Formats: sequence, C-alpha cells, structure tokens
Amino acid sequence: MTKSTPAGMGAPVRLEKVTKRFGPVVAVNDVSLEIPGQKMVTLLGPSGCGKTTTLRIIAGLETVSSGRLFIGDQDVTHQPASQRPITMVFQSYALFPHLNVFENVAYGLRNLRVPPADIRKAVGEALALVGLAGLETRAPSQLSGGQQQRVALARALVMRPKVLLLDEPLSNLDAKLRKQVRHELRSLQQQLGITSIYVTHDQSEALALSDVIVVMKDGVIQQIGPPEELYQRPANAFVAKFIGDANLLEAEVRGGQVWVGNYRVPEPPGHLIDGRRLLMVRPEAIVMEPAGPAETAGPSGAAQPAGAAGAPGAGSAAGDASTPAEGGLPGRVVDAFYQGMSAEYMVETAAGDLMVLDTNLAGPMLPPGTPVRLRFSPRGMYVLPGEAGAQAVAAAS
Amino acid sequence: MSVRPVAQLSEYGAAAQGRAGSAFWWGLIILAGGLLLPWSRQGVNVLAYDAARTGLRLAFEAWPIAAALALAGVLVVLGRPAFPTRAAGRAMLAVSAAGAAVTIGHLLTRNEPFGLGAVVVFLGFLSVAGMSLSYGGLLRVEPFAGAAILWLAAFIAVFILYPLWAMLVTSVWVRDRFTLDVFRQTLRSPTFFLFENPWTELSERRLALWVGLASGLVALAWQVVLHRTELGQNWRRIALWTVTGAASGYCLSALYTGFGALRNSVLLALSVGLVSTALGLSFALLAQRSRFPIRSLMGPISTLSMITPPFVLGLSMIYMFGRQGFITNQILGLSTNAFYGPLGVGVAQVLAFTPLAYLVLTGVVRSLDPAMEEAAQTLRASRWRLFHTVTWPLLRPGVANAFLLCVIESLADFGNPLILGGGVPFLPTEVFFAIEGRFNQNEAAVYGVILLFMTVGVFALQHYWIGRASYVTVTGKPTGGNPSPLPGVLEYPMTAAFVLWTLLGFMLYASVFFGSFVKLWGFNNTFTLEHYEALRTSGIGVFLDTARLAAIASVPSALVGFLLAYVVGRLRFPGRSLLEFTSMLSFAVPGTVMGIGYVLAFNSGALRLTGTELIIVLAFVFRNMPVGIRSGLAALQQIDRSLEEASTTLRASNVTTLRRILFPLLVPAVISGLMFSFVRAMTAISQVIFLVTPSTNLATVLILSWVGHGSIGRGAALSCVLIAAMAVVVLVLNVVLHRTGRRAGPAATL
Repeated sequence: MTKSTPAGMGAPVRLEKVTKRFGPVVAVNDVSLEIPGQKMVTLLGPSGCGKTTTLRIIAGLETVSSGRLFIGDQDVTHQPASQRPITMVFQSYALFPHLNVFENVAYGLRNLRVPPADIRKAVGEALALVGLAGLETRAPSQLSGGQQQRVALARALVMRPKVLLLDEPLSNLDAKLRKQVRHELRSLQQQLGITSIYVTHDQSEALALSDVIVVMKDGVIQQIGPPEELYQRPANAFVAKFIGDANLLEAEVRGGQVWVGNYRVPEPPGHLIDGRRLLMVRPEAIVMEPAGPAETAGPSGAAQPAGAAGAPGAGSAAGDASTPAEGGLPGRVVDAFYQGMSAEYMVETAAGDLMVLDTNLAGPMLPPGTPVRLRFSPRGMYVLPGEAGAQAVAAAS
Repeated sequence: MSVRPVAQLSEYGAAAQGRAGSAFWWGLIILAGGLLLPWSRQGVNVLAYDAARTGLRLAFEAWPIAAALALAGVLVVLGRPAFPTRAAGRAMLAVSAAGAAVTIGHLLTRNEPFGLGAVVVFLGFLSVAGMSLSYGGLLRVEPFAGAAILWLAAFIAVFILYPLWAMLVTSVWVRDRFTLDVFRQTLRSPTFFLFENPWTELSERRLALWVGLASGLVALAWQVVLHRTELGQNWRRIALWTVTGAASGYCLSALYTGFGALRNSVLLALSVGLVSTALGLSFALLAQRSRFPIRSLMGPISTLSMITPPFVLGLSMIYMFGRQGFITNQILGLSTNAFYGPLGVGVAQVLAFTPLAYLVLTGVVRSLDPAMEEAAQTLRASRWRLFHTVTWPLLRPGVANAFLLCVIESLADFGNPLILGGGVPFLPTEVFFAIEGRFNQNEAAVYGVILLFMTVGVFALQHYWIGRASYVTVTGKPTGGNPSPLPGVLEYPMTAAFVLWTLLGFMLYASVFFGSFVKLWGFNNTFTLEHYEALRTSGIGVFLDTARLAAIASVPSALVGFLLAYVVGRLRFPGRSLLEFTSMLSFAVPGTVMGIGYVLAFNSGALRLTGTELIIVLAFVFRNMPVGIRSGLAALQQIDRSLEEASTTLRASNVTTLRRILFPLLVPAVISGLMFSFVRAMTAISQVIFLVTPSTNLATVLILSWVGHGSIGRGAALSCVLIAAMAVVVLVLNVVLHRTGRRAGPAATL
C-alpha cells in the first residue's frame, strides 16, 4: 500500500464531519477539514479546545464517535493505529527508557521486519539528519532535553510516514532552544516534504512554523488560513484575541466610512457594511502622541453619537489636528510598562481601554495621567464580520 | 541539527505477508491435542497419558469428539490468511464457539474427570473464539487481547465464581430439592448466635431495645445541638444519624450479651480492627514525626509478619500465655486458660495485622503536605483546630480503609481461632468443623455463605464509600517544609505502645525459636535437637513438596495477575468493569470460604480434581492472583501511557508492545510479584486445609495437625525452618532487585 505514493511524498488528510464524545462532553464537534499534502498545518487553540483529540483521532489512538477520516485516498476510520501510515512525536517524547538511542530509532523498523543491514543504514541516516550521529549507544536518560526531542523526531522520521503528527513537541524545552528547534523543524519538514500536523497552544510558534493554521475552540474550528491571513483578517473576535494582542472596539460604519466616537478611522479593510461593527486594532498599529491641555476633552466629551460630528465630507485637510474627526481619539494614559525594545500603555478612551504598543521609544515614557491623542493606521486594523454586541466581545475573552 | 539535503530515507511496506494466521496454528494444536492426548483420566495424575482415551481411539465411538476434531479442521482451512476478513472472522467465531460447546457438552455427558486432551481442545477453541471476536469486528481490540480476555474470563468463571456458586447451591439444595431448612437450623443454633439466653434472668432482647433507644436519643441530641441554627435544612441528616445510632446501639448490645460464632467473630473483628488501626496510625505518625527510628524498624517487622504463617503467633501465644506459658506460669505462677478464646485470638491478630494497617496509613500520613499545616497555622488555627479541621479530614479515608481491611482480615483469619479458640466458636472455624467434624456439607456451606456476605459487604463498603473520598494523591511532589513534631501528650504514649508491641512480638518469635530446641516447653526445658531430627522423617519431605507446588503456582499467579492488570488497566472493551469487579472480589473472599467452595465444586463429575496436586496449585494461583493484580496495576500506573502509544504508532501490535516495551519495564514488579506469590503460597493455610489429602500434604497443615496432637516442639521446629527459608528467599530477591535498581516494596503485599 505504501507503494502507491513515491518516497518523500506526504499524503493529504481529510476529516469528514468528525465528532468525538467523551460521555456527555463533546471534545470534537462535527469537524470537517482538508489538510493539503506536504504542508505544515498547525492545530491551534486554548487547552481543552479539542486539538489534541483531533490529532489523536488522526493517529488512531482515539476512535471517532461519528464521521470519517481519509489519509491519501484511503478511508482509515476503522484502521488500527498500528496499521496507519503515520508516526507521532509525543509531548513527553515517550522514548523507551530501557532501549538505547539506536534501538529506540530502530524500534519501528524492527516491527516492519526490515532486514538488519537496512535498519543500520536507515537509523544512521535518521540520526545524522537530526544531528545526533555518534550517540547511538546512549540511554535516553543520558541525553539532554533537546537531544531527547531529536531522538523522538528521528524515531518518527525513520519510518518515512505519509503524515507526521507532532503533539506540542517543543513545550518541554526552554525558550531559547525552542526557537532554534522550531526553525530546524520547519526546514526539515520542507526538505522531506512530509505532511505535518502540529498541535500547540502557543500562537507565536504557530505563526512562525505553519503553512496553514487551524484555530479551534470548544471542539469547533474557528478559522483556517495562512498565518498572515489569520493575523490580518481574523474571522471573529476569538481569533483576533487569540492570535496576537488585539483591541476590539465598537465602531459605526456609514457609507463606507468607519467612525469610533468622533474619530473617523482611516480606511480600514474588512466588512464595511453599514451598521454597528466590531473593529479590531492591533496595539502596534496605534500611534500615540501627547495632547495639549486645552484639547483634553476627556472621555465624557466624546460620548455623543458620531453623527454630531456631521460633515461626512470632512475628509479634507490631512494633518489638520484641530478637527476632531481627523484628529484622532482623545484619551488618557492609565498604566505604562517598559519592556526594553518597546513600551506598552493602557489608555482610557471613550471607546474603552485600549492597549497601545509604542515601538519607537523616541522620548521618555509618558507617565500615567498624561492626556494623549490616538491615531490608528490601516495596516493593523480590520472590521470583523457580523454585528457588534456584547456577545461578540464576551466570546473573545 | 545539521540539516542536509536528503531523499535517501528509504520506505518500508508492511511485513507479515504470506505468513499463516494464528487461527491456523491453533487449529493444528487442537487437532494434535485432541487426537494424541487423553480426553479423560482415571487417577489423580492430571498429566497421565492413557492411550485408550485419546481422540485416535475415541473419535469413532464418541461423535462429539469427531465433531470437535472436524471443526478444528475447518479452522485450519479458514485460519490460513494472516489478516482474515470480517466475514471470515465471524465464521471462525461460529466454528470455534460450536467446538467449545461440543467439547463442554461431551465432558458433561460423559461425567468422567477431564484429561489433558480435553483441556487443550477447549482452550484452543477459546483462543480462536477470542481472536475471531477481534477479526469479526465485534470487539475493538487486537486478536491477542481478545483471546486473553476470554481466557481470563473463563478462568475466573471456573475457579472463582463457580466454587462460590457451588457453595451457594449446597446451602439451599439438600437431597435434590430446594430448602431453607439448613439455613433456618444453622441460624437458630446456639453455636451460630444465641440472643435470648434462657440461663440468665435478664432479658437480653429488652436490654438491647433500651440501649438502642438510649443511643438513638444521644445521637439525636448531639445532632440537634450541632445543627441548632439550621434545624429545618438538616432534618434528613439528623434523622439518619438518630436511626443509625439506635441501630448500632441495639446491635452492639445484642453482640455484647449474646453468644455464638457470629457474635464472637464480629466483636473480635471490630475490636481487632480498632486496635490495629489505632496502633498502625500511631506508628505511621511516629515514623514520620518522631526522632525515634521507627521507620527503619517497621520495614523488617512488616516483612517478618508477611513471611510468618498466620498461626505461628497463635502457637507462640501458647508458649507465652498458655497453661504452662512462660509469663502466665513461670513468672506469674498462674495456670490459666484466659488466653484460650477471644482474648488470645485478639492479641495474636492485633500483632499480625498492625503492620498491615501501618503500611496503608504510612502512605496516607506521608502524603499529608506539611505546607497545608503551615498554611493553616498562618491562618491562626490552634493545634487542636488544625487537627480537627485539616489533618483528620485528610486522614479519615485512609483510616477507614485500614480499619475495614483489618476487619476483613480478622473475619477471614482461620489459623489463630483454630489454635487458640479453645472451644469458642468462630465463623471460619465453624466452616471447617462442620465439614471435617460434623460431616455436614450443607451446614458448612451455610456458614460459608454468611461469612462470604459479611466480608464482601465490608469490601463493597470500602470500595464504594471510601474509594470515592480519597484525598491521598492530591499532590505529586512533596513540598518543602518540615512536618510539625507531635505534641508530647501524643508522642510518649505512642512510643510506649510501639516499644511494648515490638517487645511482645519479639518475645513471641523468640519463644517459637527456643520452643523448637527444648524437650517439652514448661515441663522439661532441657536443650534438645530431637524436634529437628524428627523433621527428617516426615517434615522435610512435606516442606519440599510444598515449596515445589508453591514455586509451580507462583509463575501462573504472577502472570495471570499481570495479564489481568494489563487487560483491566489498559484495554477498553464491554464487560471490562465486570471483569475488574470479579477479580477484585477475590480479595474479599475468605480462604475458608474458597476452601469449602473448591471442595464442593471439584469433588465429582467432569471437573473432578479432589486429591490431585493440581487443585492445590490452582488454589494457590487464584488465591494469590490479587497480589499480582495489585502490584501489576501499581506498576502500570508508573508507566506513561504515551510509551505504549508511541509503540503503537511505530507499527507494533499489542503483543509486541507488551513483550518489548511493557514487560522489560515491569520485570522488577513481576519478580517481586513472583516472590510474594511464592511466600503467600508457602504460608497459606485457610483454603488448602480443605484440599489436602494424605498423599498431598502441605507444611502449614502439617504444623497445625502436629500442634493439635500435642507435638508442639516439632511444629515449632518446622515453623522455624519455614520462616528461615522464606527470609532467605525475600533477602535474595531483594538483593537481586536492588541490583536491577528497584526494590520489592512491602506495598506490593497490599
């Protein structure tokens, strides 16, 4: 059966309406998903979102309650785990403590009854691939965490799986090593062309590694797409909040223009349909400057509806700071945190408390209490689909 | 990870093409066994070859044998492919089920004791049926696991459930008809329980009523005061407490004034349970929170109590406190029978069961996080309040667990009441006397049923009531912080109790040792080796026989135990909880009950085993299997499940995972399981005393009969040999396990 695909060819994986129940709990709820071959796909979500269960269903370590699963063009829904063309790297690595490095990597080949000479050759290649040549006779307990992780990877790769499953493989490494191994993992996957499905709750890991990210919550897929799309055009408040930091504010869309209070936001992308919408603004897309004491309208002044600002055609004078529509959103610094290469502010405005990330750090930090003026830049904004409302914001938290 | 361009990792397809399936080989085994081995036997040698009873001779006379062999032939044909289709699997299931049915039917209609051939044929069909359940998609496990499940289920059904069933039937089935007469007679007999004693002026019944009323009122008053602020909300709780108080008052009064085996056993079990648990808890607290080196002393003591035959303490009680006892007679100048009866049995049992309570409680005490006590202290809790609100609620499940375990052990103990009972009836000994003295199987069965229901009731209580409320494994790592030392008010009496208990135990062991070297204890204390010389003629042979049977039995009991632990602990299949429950149930069945069950179940017909060595081996296996299950489950809990899952995703079948991953990691546990099975088999008495015959005698039974006939010195000598030999076994194995890096913890005996 393995003859049907040439070596180095990762197979696509398809889930059709897969549901998994543990008693009354629905861990995976009617998930349909097409994972393209040879790509690195990440299942991302908070703990308990069903991402690990989905992975274990693909591995065959969990049975499905309903639905079907295909690897390549083969229906493997009822195939036992030991006969599926997949291998898995476990969070705990799951190295066999009583076998040395060589025997750990050779274990799967021995189960396939590969001739001993071929085993020696293949294990040597796999260990060289992960940079562990020469450590064949060590016991797993004599290796560092990073080395153990590589043995686990070599053990999975040596089988030439059509699909490689990785269950939070980096979570037991320290921060520095994690970053390095992440890059190596990525280039290895691209070279070997193995379909890889990667489970993590760390959004920065997902952004750095993946061709495609699948965001899950409560057993339901929220959005599927490449990292840039998820960051720039999140499908809903949850995705916006979960991937990166996001300010979500209520905005009024009227005739293609977006108003936050009296501030007319400059041409954000997204769903510009008339009505009250949810506007996402990334903290790094907010430019903040101190405001003169005279202009300090305070949050109370901006409370009236945007219609009061009148003049939809006031899109004239750029840089004219005196018109409220173009002059940005007035506010007041509540908290300030210094972070080295940037500074993070919490700013109180009429539209709610906003997080602002200042990456310029031109002058000294603004102390709490400073009146400021905020301007949003279009590259970090997006108008979310659907009506704005308490529900959408609550769902995000 | 130096990444270099690769395309050379070669690809491997699934192997196992062209090999014949397991069903094919099983079909051949059935054919060979059914044709060449005898289907029935005449004597007590199960392994005997009898050419006249082989399938080759009988196939033409008995159509079931011919049918079974033909079905095996069908299996050989059907079982050729390594991976049979679903339809082929279902066909094989039907064929093998028919084969097993035909085999059983033939054995039952012939009514002759089974032979080796029939066993091979039946187990062969059973294996194929189990594998076919998996092939046919009816059981979502691998073929091997399906076969293992059926084997285990069959063994448990035949060797645990069927004997108990036979006992139940015998208690209500007399001379081919159903009757409750035996139950009625036994329950009314004064030997069982006498409530209203006609020889006293007092009416016990009325007294019990008054006591019940009084304790009910006390409970009511206490609860009303406790919940005085919210009486309305707590009325259910108050009513429950009142009824419980009244009922327990009535029962205790009835037990206290009554007579008979029920009263003696229950009262003894309750007091022994209380005292042993109190001592065990004190020692556990001392071990953790005292400067006194209790822990290093308790290790050897609990090992010693494990390798001692249960009745040796009773024997030494005679030496120290009997009519010619060292303390009662030599020192105090008394000639008293006070220690024959409940008092002596109680003392012997407390000495024997305190280590058990200690082992249960030391884990609980150690898991108490000192940080919790420190937290409570920083919250301004006084010492008493700390104990009352934090320590005791955390200890309570463990204490209840230890108490109930000791109650079960005391109810089931057979050796001490037999030696020290002094004519006072106890439930386990009445089972024995009913069958060996009064030759009344039905009465023995009734006693057995009563004892069984009592211990199983306590076991169920322990399982469902305590099991839910255990706080033991809240935290994994012990945090820093030192446990607060015990208050002196507690520490000094506890230490005194420990010293006294240790001294008494030491004295008792020493007396057995010295008793084996003097002519006749108390009358003629001259040194002699005659008891050991006497062993040469009869004792040593029996001792070696016992060791041989115990060694044979230890392998299957450890293996069956571990397989059961694996199947129950790691696989998912319908009926799993039932299998788990019945195998755990065998913990709670007293040896005497199992003994009478085996006598009744395997005395005649196709399953006749009486007088064989096999029945003793089987008794050992299924008596000690729970030890294997417990240490297997404990060891499996230490092994990360992802190891097995990793093995599975690397294309290993369940068998391969079991053989190459789990087994090597479990070896230390398996070795200690073997050792404990062996030791327990060597020291067992309560079940096998029903099963021995003059040709298959056992060391413990021999000691007991010598003591009963007055040759106490010889019994003491053989006991010393037994204890010494067991000590050597335990020591050697501990050294072996220490070399491999693990210890045979005493916890494995629980």
